[in-house]
Amino acid sequence: MSDTIAKEGAAGGILASLSIAIQTRIGRQKLRKIILGSIPFLVLFVLWQMNTAFEWLPAVFIPPLGDVLGAAITLQEDCVGIGGALAMDNTCLLTNHIFSSIGRVILAAVIGLPLGIGAGILAGMNRTVSRYLEPVGVFANSISGIAWIPLAIVWFGVGWMTTLFIMLNTIFWLMFFNAMLGVRGVAKVYEQSVLTMGGSRWDVIRHVYLPGAMPSIITGMRISLGFGWRALIAAEMIGGDSGLGFMIFVSAEEFKIEEVFLGVIIISLIYMATDRYLLAPLEKWTVERWGLIWKPT
Amino acid sequence: MTAKLVVEGLSHHYPDEYTGIDVHALDDISLEVEEGELVSVVGPSGCGKSTLLNILAGLLPYRVGTATVDGIRIEGPGPDRGVVFQEHAILPWRTVNKNIGHGLEIKRMPRDQIAKRVQEFVNLVGLAGFEDKYPHELSGGMKQRCAVARTLCADPVIMLMDEPFAAVDAQTRITLQEELNRIAMATKKTILFITHSVDEAAFLADRCFVFSARPGRLKAIVDINIPRGDRIWSDMNANADFLAARDEILKLVREEVSVATEE
Ligand SMILES: Nc1ncnc2c1ncn2[C@@H]1O[C@H](COP(=O)(O)OP(=O)(O)OP(=O)(O)O)[C@@H](O)[C@H]1O
Ligand SMILES: [Mg+2]
Repeated sequence: MSDTIAKEGAAGGILASLSIAIQTRIGRQKLRKIILGSIPFLVLFVLWQMNTAFEWLPAVFIPPLGDVLGAAITLQEDCVGIGGALAMDNTCLLTNHIFSSIGRVILAAVIGLPLGIGAGILAGMNRTVSRYLEPVGVFANSISGIAWIPLAIVWFGVGWMTTLFIMLNTIFWLMFFNAMLGVRGVAKVYEQSVLTMGGSRWDVIRHVYLPGAMPSIITGMRISLGFGWRALIAAEMIGGDSGLGFMIFVSAEEFKIEEVFLGVIIISLIYMATDRYLLAPLEKWTVERWGLIWKPT
Repeated sequence: MTAKLVVEGLSHHYPDEYTGIDVHALDDISLEVEEGELVSVVGPSGCGKSTLLNILAGLLPYRVGTATVDGIRIEGPGPDRGVVFQEHAILPWRTVNKNIGHGLEIKRMPRDQIAKRVQEFVNLVGLAGFEDKYPHELSGGMKQRCAVARTLCADPVIMLMDEPFAAVDAQTRITLQEELNRIAMATKKTILFITHSVDEAAFLADRCFVFSARPGRLKAIVDINIPRGDRIWSDMNANADFLAARDEILKLVREEVSVATEE
């Protein structure tokens, strides 16, 4: 045990001090991963608390944790219960912003991801399609998604159309390129084997290109949702009328620094949850299961 | 008997866009395979055996010469010609069961019928207990057996097999060779079987095509007139026809291999 502690450092120490019951229930490997992953956050958290205690930087720059939690309560104070929050009642300020941002991400993902995957697969398998789409894709990728915001505001005005446009523009093209490269990387012999069994083009798409390109497609989802979130926050700040980005922007203008902190923390929590509960399981049950990607041990 | 598969004056060059020097893979090949016949193809590595198979499978476009099935020019792949590829081409994202039943799934056979047939072939190639494993969880030989079962299960009229038993252990190889012999006898399939093993070529084939070193030419045809019912490995060492055919093929191949290595 002692050399494990030495080798794994703090994580080993924490792990060793946990009761055997907990260790066996969650699994040592997994527990170790969780602990290691939490350490940077713990360090940040401790620094934050120390800042509050020793007042290195004043509360207008870095508010105490209590204020941040307090801001959440203040924003929700007139909201009646979970029912009110879900109904997006006017009084539920914080949850309205959260739902509004999440709703936009979902909408953009539901439209942008399948379209990007579909177009990417077509471009990957067909020279003509890729000749049409690749140049405009390179053009779109050369401009960061948020650079479109001023133009989008002119076209669609302030509101959800602008934010949707910005997100779709980001999500679609990133997904497109990843899916296309994924298809091109699939070994030819898989396609040939399906063709020699009498498979149609459609069979090849479903049975070869889509699963074969899955590692790239999942990477594409990760990247495009990540960049999509960032673009959304920026779009909401400038061209939105609700959402977490809007909330952060307005709060900053009013010097409510604790609300800014609250918004930033919520945004990262939501993204981390998406990755953890949607993308990671998808990866586990497809490409990892099929032995298509390596996991470092 | 009528010729099922006819190849006439077939040549093939692979262009090389980087060096500009073409590879002359096949040179003026003419051969016929009768319906229900099993022919083996042997020849030195790189002499164009897989190239010929790809052309017959309809996967490689060709310009010089003709290749026909039942008199119709081969223009593309089709379910009448099943292929066992030299590299294991089973799909990594399908379990053993799903891979073996893939051809039937494409043919839209009802699920319960597929399951029944698949089970037969799983047992045949000795993969029982591994039905729900993915290819990366199998050994090299198991993958190859899975690929063979997939092609057999799809039940094509013609089978094109490219060194299908090369990575299988000696014991399983004997079983599979005898099994293929039984299938050839029972189903009257037309089979073209590429191999590096002279023993295998002589054991399985009605006729053996020996290819020269690159560019591949048809150097000789060796007839092997052993009734299919007599082809059992335990009897082969006492079978004069088998021994004679094997020695002849071996002699022909040896000449070519020395040519190939002198190059
Ligand atoms: N796709 C390709 N592009 C270019 N050259 C190729 C290609 N496939 C094969 N060749 C060349 O054609 C020649 C014949 O190759 P082929 O694969 O048909 O040989 P083979 O007889 O099957 O050999 P082996 O017994 O080693 O499998 C080789 O010299 C090879 O380099
Ligand atoms: Mg070959």
